[in-house]
Amino acid sequence: MPVITLNYEDLESLTSVDRDTIVEQIPMMGADIERIEDEYIDIEFFPDRPDLYSVEGAARALRGFLNIETGLQDYKLDSSNIEIEKDEDIEHIRPYLACAVIRNVNFNANSIKSLMDLQEDLHWGVGRNRKKVSIGVHDLSNITPPFRYMAADPDKEFIPLDFTEPMSMNQILEKHPKGMKFAYILESFDKYPMILDAEDNVLSFPPIINSKRTQITENTTDLFIDVTGLSESVYVALNVLVTALADRGGSVESVKIIDSDGNEKTLPDLEPLSCKLEVSEINSLIGTGLSQDEILKQLQRMRYGADIKNNKSIEVKVPPYRADILHNYDIVEDIAIGYGYDNIQPVFPESATFGSAHEVSIISDNICEIMTGLGYSEVMSFTLSNERVHFDNMCRNITDDVTYVMHPISEDQTIVRTTILPNLMEILSMNQHRELPQSIFEFGDVVINSKIHRNLAAVSIHPEVNFTDIREIVDAVMRERMVEYEVEESDDPAFIGGRRADILVNGKKVGVMGEIYPQVITNFGLGEPVIGFEMEIMDY
Amino acid sequence: MSEQKQKHEASDYNLSINEKKILIDLGELECTIPKTLAEKTSLKPEAAMQSAFLLEEKGLAKVDEEFSVNYTITGEGVEYADNGLPERQIVEYISEPVAIDDLKNQLSPKMVGIAIGWLKKKGWADVKNSMIMPSVNSPEIGDDEKILSRFKQYAQEPDKSGIAFTEKELLEKDSEKSALKDLLKRKLVIKNEEKYRYVSITNQGRKLVSQGIEIEEEITQLTSQLLKTGEWKNKNFRSYNIHTPPKPVYGAKIHPYQRLINQMRQIFIEMGFTEIKGEIIQSSFWNFDALFQPQDHPARDMQDTFHLESTSEIDEECKDNVCAMHEHGGDISSTGWGGLWDENIARRNVLRTHTTAVTIKYLADNPEPPVKAFCIDRAYRRETIDPTHLPEFEQLEGVVMDKNMSFANLLGCLAEFYHRMGFENVRFRPGYFPYTEPSVEPEVYIDGMGWIELGGAGIFRKEVTDPLGIKHPVLAWGLGVSRVAMLKLGLRDLRELYQSDIDWIRKSEVCRL
Repeated sequence: MPVITLNYEDLESLTSVDRDTIVEQIPMMGADIERIEDEYIDIEFFPDRPDLYSVEGAARALRGFLNIETGLQDYKLDSSNIEIEKDEDIEHIRPYLACAVIRNVNFNANSIKSLMDLQEDLHWGVGRNRKKVSIGVHDLSNITPPFRYMAADPDKEFIPLDFTEPMSMNQILEKHPKGMKFAYILESFDKYPMILDAEDNVLSFPPIINSKRTQITENTTDLFIDVTGLSESVYVALNVLVTALADRGGSVESVKIIDSDGNEKTLPDLEPLSCKLEVSEINSLIGTGLSQDEILKQLQRMRYGADIKNNKSIEVKVPPYRADILHNYDIVEDIAIGYGYDNIQPVFPESATFGSAHEVSIISDNICEIMTGLGYSEVMSFTLSNERVHFDNMCRNITDDVTYVMHPISEDQTIVRTTILPNLMEILSMNQHRELPQSIFEFGDVVINSKIHRNLAAVSIHPEVNFTDIREIVDAVMRERMVEYEVEESDDPAFIGGRRADILVNGKKVGVMGEIYPQVITNFGLGEPVIGFEMEIMDY
Repeated sequence: MSEQKQKHEASDYNLSINEKKILIDLGELECTIPKTLAEKTSLKPEAAMQSAFLLEEKGLAKVDEEFSVNYTITGEGVEYADNGLPERQIVEYISEPVAIDDLKNQLSPKMVGIAIGWLKKKGWADVKNSMIMPSVNSPEIGDDEKILSRFKQYAQEPDKSGIAFTEKELLEKDSEKSALKDLLKRKLVIKNEEKYRYVSITNQGRKLVSQGIEIEEEITQLTSQLLKTGEWKNKNFRSYNIHTPPKPVYGAKIHPYQRLINQMRQIFIEMGFTEIKGEIIQSSFWNFDALFQPQDHPARDMQDTFHLESTSEIDEECKDNVCAMHEHGGDISSTGWGGLWDENIARRNVLRTHTTAVTIKYLADNPEPPVKAFCIDRAYRRETIDPTHLPEFEQLEGVVMDKNMSFANLLGCLAEFYHRMGFENVRFRPGYFPYTEPSVEPEVYIDGMGWIELGGAGIFRKEVTDPLGIKHPVLAWGLGVSRVAMLKLGLRDLRELYQSDIDWIRKSEVCRL
């Protein structure tokens, strides 16, 4: 999640509130404080609130929350008279486009960095790492409108940012750091998105890189912004950006976008979205009895526009920079945050229900009683394992009922276990410096043919353990569980021939027991005899 | 008062049979060495000494220790005492220069080797160009030879054969000390340091002995024989020292982490919740789509989730409703996520990334209110292992579905749950979770650590409940059980839970949780 560094001095001047109040209030507004320093505070805002990813946006919300300036913030919008045409062949590559012009911006090194940070956070938060939405910000003075958004031939050349020589788009994807990083987004296309000006100068190669020609410097005052992407999220991303720049003192101007069918769209659209909320709906969801006035007050603190519609409902205007309002309940949550979670009286539900444990847990309790009574201590091991431990070390052949994970993160976790014994052997091997005898068991999940099963396994290590000992343990477990069983010669290579037995219930094999095969013992680095058993207790 | 405390009789001292035997013998011997004491009482020397020490504790005997140094002659030393030191043998053998090799042929090579150095050192001969050149004939007997001969001489006296000698006995003058050192260096004589113990009786002991001590047999181990015959009635039980610290023994036990999980389970059951369980392998549909997680959400990436090659069938009705919700908000006034929803993506199987996959399916199967259910089970995330992150970990989750449930009811459940978990101070902060609205992060206050975020909660979005036919609000909360385990068990590394040190299990107290 994006961590935003907010300077106290900036914040104090933008909100006229002391830093202690700010530090105290920010978590209650919906954010986590990452770090508190003498000069600044690092805050992690929630991923659904990209409008808070800048000092301006955070200050705007704080001013409301602290009752300094409440209600909907108005943004003035003039026309720039700039047009951009959208070619038909871009429609199947990167169809969505939103643009705006900002004039009279005062930049210094800090504010340029702040703008770049916001852009990167939007790429992460809204843009799914530029795939869904990507943003280009250009110095308007070096380019000539009208502009054109089109699909260009990969050989088309221009000088990209951070380079001095012209490169073709293909070369950029191969050699430019940004090109290499984001090339995958374009890998299935034979033409690439491009924005050109009236004189065929390249503005940008979305979603990869801008042209050097339009680079922002401290002398830049007028900006052209393009937002391209795969969904309507481009509109709200543009709104987040232009409202932040407007709060910094820039004037926002609209751009007319004309598609190949001649349809026109003027952006940004800073009109708030209107919706109606019932007072009863709000109170029943939060569990409060808030008055209409109280609700209006909280909505305005959360920077919504709010008016009484009639005595039962409220008309709400949602700020154009809010990307997270999908449903009325999103607004209700803001009312609850405004009212303060600590002001809501917790009430335990009256629903009359009876509690009950799952069958597996009941059996688990019984098994624990049986096994600890027999002197075996419980362990809980990982269910992720690997072929080496699971099969090779056990001298067992790989079975075809195993679940493999597709992109393992390490060679230690490549499969979901089908048996527990290898885990127990691993635990013994980690405990070689501990006193013997060691007797441990686990009643745990295994996954066989994609289905979960519950197995019981136990091992014991000691210089004098033998088949009789494990035979007695298995017999005790079966007797306590009141299960009739038989034994039969086993061919499990993890055990010593002639000292191993399959466990059968109703003629069906449920498990195996015996003295562990010496090679298995040494494979786990152990130096004393080991006995063990494993059996399926249930599936569910 | 003080008279009552004074001990007068043998019984006041609680003497064991062995102690009594030793004391009686000491009365006769007054002062003796352990060996004699042992022989006289027919006890093993260790047992005799143990009793002597116990008598000393009671003020009836005294054990003194003395260190003595003495010397004994080695086998090689005896040989030279008989035949003369090697250098003596050679200097007597030769009268003019002789080649070393020739000499080795005539006498033993080993002896010649030893002799050369000492011949030079004692100034009896010079060695040049592999030749030995004697410088004196029959040199005077040295101090070292005198000492050796004394060993031989004493050894012939009948009562001293084989016994060690003190320095005083061996040396006539102080100047012989360096010769003794040489002999030690040459390993012809060995220096022994011995600890001698002397046991003697005290006045108190004498008094007791003079009063007479009766030896009667005591019971050490109660036997079936003693019980059967009733003999125990006429005998005393040997008293044990109850203050001797015991050796720690450890019983087999339930894993401390399981005990914590059981405790949480118990809390839920007491609060009227039904325990549920489900498959580890879940379709993306139940793990993500049913929870209104957009299909391009980063959490669904290969980066964060263990994907599998297999796929699952999806229930037709659920599928259409969920699809509509994702694409345009379905039948409620939601915007949905827009774009197209792809069934193939939903069919892909994953290792469940949260137990919510299990609870949401349970709610879809049981849409009639009221439902109060919980699940404590393992979830899987594609995380690199480090002390605070593991690719698999336990998650706890509770849901309440009923008519008219509100956010205040959710806070009520959370407050009750955390209080029962033993966290007295609980507070609520806004939170964000993709499938709940409103969302809340409960925090508990822990001394020395401050407010700790412990889980997440919220009311399931309508976008989640509506397509599954769930008509009433669902309150849901969850937390990482291992996080609580770290706090309650004082662990620093999560791996300790799953790769257990058996000693840790042995030593972790049952009542810690």
